[in-house]
Amino acid sequence: MARRRAGIGAINKGKIDKGRYSAKATEIGELELSHVSGQLDTFRKQLEAFATKHKSEIRKNAEFRGHFQQMCARIGVDPLASSKGFWAQTLGVGDFYYELGVQIIEICLASRERNGGLMSFHDLQRKVLATSGKTRQDVSEDDLARAIKKLKILGAGFAVIPMKGGRLVQSVPGELNMDHTAVLQKAEGSAHTSVCELVKELGWTEVRAKSILDHLVHEGMAWVDDQGGPERLYWFPGLFETRDPSASLSSLRM
Amino acid sequence: MTSSLRSLSGGGGGFTWPWQYYFPPFFTVQVNSDTRAKQLEAWCRLVLDYHRAHKSYVLDISEAQSSQLFSNQDINRRLPPEGIDLVLKTLESRGNVEWQNSEKSRCLVMWRSPREWGELIYKWAQASGHGNSVCTLYELHSGEDTTEEEFCGIELWVLQRSIQALAREGKAELIPGDSADGSDAGVKFFS
Repeated sequence: MARRRAGIGAINKGKIDKGRYSAKATEIGELELSHVSGQLDTFRKQLEAFATKHKSEIRKNAEFRGHFQQMCARIGVDPLASSKGFWAQTLGVGDFYYELGVQIIEICLASRERNGGLMSFHDLQRKVLATSGKTRQDVSEDDLARAIKKLKILGAGFAVIPMKGGRLVQSVPGELNMDHTAVLQKAEGSAHTSVCELVKELGWTEVRAKSILDHLVHEGMAWVDDQGGPERLYWFPGLFETRDPSASLSSLRM
Repeated sequence: MTSSLRSLSGGGGGFTWPWQYYFPPFFTVQVNSDTRAKQLEAWCRLVLDYHRAHKSYVLDISEAQSSQLFSNQDINRRLPPEGIDLVLKTLESRGNVEWQNSEKSRCLVMWRSPREWGELIYKWAQASGHGNSVCTLYELHSGEDTTEEEFCGIELWVLQRSIQALAREGKAELIPGDSADGSDAGVKFFS
């Protein structure tokens, strides 16, 4: 006579089954994990081989470097994480950014006198290329942003300010808040703005616009101009593109 | 590092304006004291470089306000009188400007000090065999031997000052002439 399992035996059997299932599950999980990590390992090894092989390309070619960075990011490798790691030693990728960082600091310090500590990426890139010589023919804005990100660790007051057209690098300590950034974005292109413009276009009160502009003047980032019309204009030397000197010379001769 | 002020380019009196000359607020006296100091510094350099490039030694205040030095027509900006006053006061405090009259309507702009001029002239005298001999001042500023020299065409008063500076160092002696303005004076160089 068939007897249904019941009572204590049935409960024990259930427990045993459950135990078996979970053991199997762990086993499968571990297998998969080792499989996946094995794959990652292989990938990493291939990436290392690839990186070693293309070492000079990575240093020289900005686009190539960008793709390489992306590839690394996908598998959780940061070639910049340490200057002592495999990546830095094998590739000198770390060196690349540290050297670039030092160069950026030098350029920003030298031009601070002129621009009050604000500089467009475009300008910075031009100066980096002009002072690098042959060692670094190709430096992208992406490279600049990465190098500046590294500089933040030093607490040197370096920051990247997003703009509509491009980015700005700020090289003086002191946080710029949303309002300051909004003013800089308004001045992008023309290199100047005014209380009226901010009131009209950002919907600010006059008091707010005035106080933000005054702060930027106080910080040495903005210059005042009283000859541009009925109201005072505020100009940003960091956003002001210098004219070609030869062009100005020929216009004087006319 | 390179100077933010590009100075003169080559000969022919070709003059390259500094970037600030095209930056409109450069022509408004700045309210922030640090920024104003930078602005004044740039103005002082510009005034001296401009006079050096044009071999000009005198600045007339009434003319200055409309001269291209202090006004940029391309961007429709001019440095107001109080700005010009501030720049000249700064230059005066540095010994680069000397007023010619008490109304302060004309000033001498010394983009090279008499002592520096003296050095140049003395070097020329030694190199050209005028050591221990006498030259007239006319020979120095308009003579055939000095046409290639930087002090060719130098104004008489600057020349006199330069010789006086050399005399103080015992390198030369000014020999007064007969005319009242000293134009026929001479100089003896000691080697």
